[in-house]
Amino acid sequence: MASIDATNDATRRPFEGRRVHLGDVLLKGVAGAAAAGGVALVGLIAWKVIDGARPSIAKYGIAFVWHIAWNPVPGHEIYGAASFLFGTAITSFFALLLAAPLAMGIALFLTELAPRGLQALVTALVEMLAAVPSVVIGLWGILVLGPQLRIHIEPWLHSALGFIPLFGPPSAAGASIFTAVIVLAIMILPIVSSISRELFLGVPHELKEGALALGTTRWEMIRGVVFPYARGGIAAALILGLGRAMGEAIAVTQVIGGGVFIHWSLFSQGDTLASKIAAEYQGATSNLDVASLIYLGVILLALSLVANIAAQYIVRSVARKHGVTRGGHA
Amino acid sequence: MPKLGTSIRITSALAAVALLAIVVVGAANAKPARQATTLNGAGSTLIAPAIAVWGPAYAKATGVEINYSGIGSGGGIAAITAKTVDFGASDAPLNPSQAAACSDCVQIPWALSATVPTYNIPGLHSAQLRLDGPTLADIFLGKITNWSDPAIKKLNPGVPLPNLAITPAHRSDGSGDTYAFTDYLSHISSTWASQVGNATSVNWPVGVGGKGNPGVAAIIASTPGSIGYISVAYVKQNHLDWTRMKNASGNYTLATAPAIESAAQLVKTVPADNKMSIVDPPASPKYRNAWPLSTFTYVIVHKSSAQADALRKFIFWALTPKAQKLINNSFLVFAPIPKVVLVAAEKTLTQVH
Repeated sequence: MASIDATNDATRRPFEGRRVHLGDVLLKGVAGAAAAGGVALVGLIAWKVIDGARPSIAKYGIAFVWHIAWNPVPGHEIYGAASFLFGTAITSFFALLLAAPLAMGIALFLTELAPRGLQALVTALVEMLAAVPSVVIGLWGILVLGPQLRIHIEPWLHSALGFIPLFGPPSAAGASIFTAVIVLAIMILPIVSSISRELFLGVPHELKEGALALGTTRWEMIRGVVFPYARGGIAAALILGLGRAMGEAIAVTQVIGGGVFIHWSLFSQGDTLASKIAAEYQGATSNLDVASLIYLGVILLALSLVANIAAQYIVRSVARKHGVTRGGHA
Repeated sequence: MPKLGTSIRITSALAAVALLAIVVVGAANAKPARQATTLNGAGSTLIAPAIAVWGPAYAKATGVEINYSGIGSGGGIAAITAKTVDFGASDAPLNPSQAAACSDCVQIPWALSATVPTYNIPGLHSAQLRLDGPTLADIFLGKITNWSDPAIKKLNPGVPLPNLAITPAHRSDGSGDTYAFTDYLSHISSTWASQVGNATSVNWPVGVGGKGNPGVAAIIASTPGSIGYISVAYVKQNHLDWTRMKNASGNYTLATAPAIESAAQLVKTVPADNKMSIVDPPASPKYRNAWPLSTFTYVIVHKSSAQADALRKFIFWALTPKAQKLINNSFLVFAPIPKVVLVAAEKTLTQVH
């Protein structure tokens, strides 16, 4: 039986034969203006950023993206984004790799396994992690985390897994891609875990109880019911975390050490797009320097856009597969 | 619903009266548009301790507040070019393209200080390590990688140098200390001059980058075997280990005020744009105790601006013997400016009005 949905009834003509309410008009106007403003803002930001990068785009073109170089000294000036693009890719990927299972674990614990009283406490503490400012985490990273990694973790990983190029000689100063990966993982953990928690809470009770009634163990129930149901949302949450990791500038610039090269070892220094902009923008010496830094921003913007579109595509395709339409259920 | 209507009407009326009252009171108390009670500046972290002393003293004398943020010399130049501050401070003089971009600007040398190689070697105390220019250049070029290298041992007979990897530390932001340091290395080593060059921000062959003097100090403090360059006031205030450098005359000196003052004697006449370099004074009895990494530091202002009058008064005050004396002490280690430079500075200042 079709339910009567007065807000969405396609045959409803809002103003036909009825007195126009000022409230309705205002609502439409204000909400519409806000939406239009949002769209306009995104367009304006994108245009301004591309405009600022124009001198560098004109000089280097698309070759900027795969060129490994960065020298701001007058007379020797040359700029290229490849090493920073690599840094962004590798730090975000490994941060996500590290944070995803942890976040899933936290969400599962809070929704399925924790006693009621503990849930509220642990939830609050994990979300408080998101409230720590980036600068503070960066400071903690270079003063506390970095030396600990350099002295204890990196030598052990190098001796145990040194045959893999990823685990090269330990870093000299605790400032390395590895430290940045850990810092980023800590920063994206709260987002991914809180979204996952909401998703797992939204799994219908009947499905879970039905599975348990059939004799599955708790893990089989989680694997068979909760994960498939929440799959699309989890993918979106992961990509949200990825976007956060790609854009993080201040915390990364304090712990990553800097360098214009591509080394495959996680323990070497490096630099990311956002961190290079944060380090150099204030003191940029020439127009080409400034334009090249903004060009790095254009690349970062493009990456974030791709990530967002991918997230929306995944969510939509999973929703379509489930047959879940807007405003009803299957 | 009459009740709801009435209460809404009463609330709106009260809100309108309150708003009107605020507007009337605010208009009555409005100050005249632009009172020169604050001068905003940004730039060099080397001069920041001096401005921290000058600011309160000047405010007490004249009532004008000085508001300063240490964002690095490169940031200071960018800020004054964009006119987002009233004055910019930089240890590095404007290069030709920067001078062209900031066409109405003048740079005035208002203090004299130095940058110091600072190290963290377990077992060595402060001022125990001796280095010379070529060795320092090789360390930062990545050619010397261990503290037990024969080149370093030769300069430090009898000193227990450990078998420890060297981690050079540098500034990741645009820095006047970087300018002075690379200026010195470019003078000392032709390899450095051609491969890396001299600027507020360079492409370092090796080493870890830290943000600001505190960032470099944090790296050195937490990394055994590290060496970096930090402005002398910061080294003294934070009790870091400083190096004895061999100057051109063959003597190992420390960055004391007399040593810096001696290096500044290199200036005979000041060029029209006040651009001076006093690194690596040549071998001569006059410079036998000179510190080879000394640098002037500049304040950069527009010749004409809304605050030009207030700026001229402030900079003039900063150049007076009384103000210079405030920062010439063992704690801040700003050396006295030579007479010829002082005269040139005041002459440039007359262009600001």
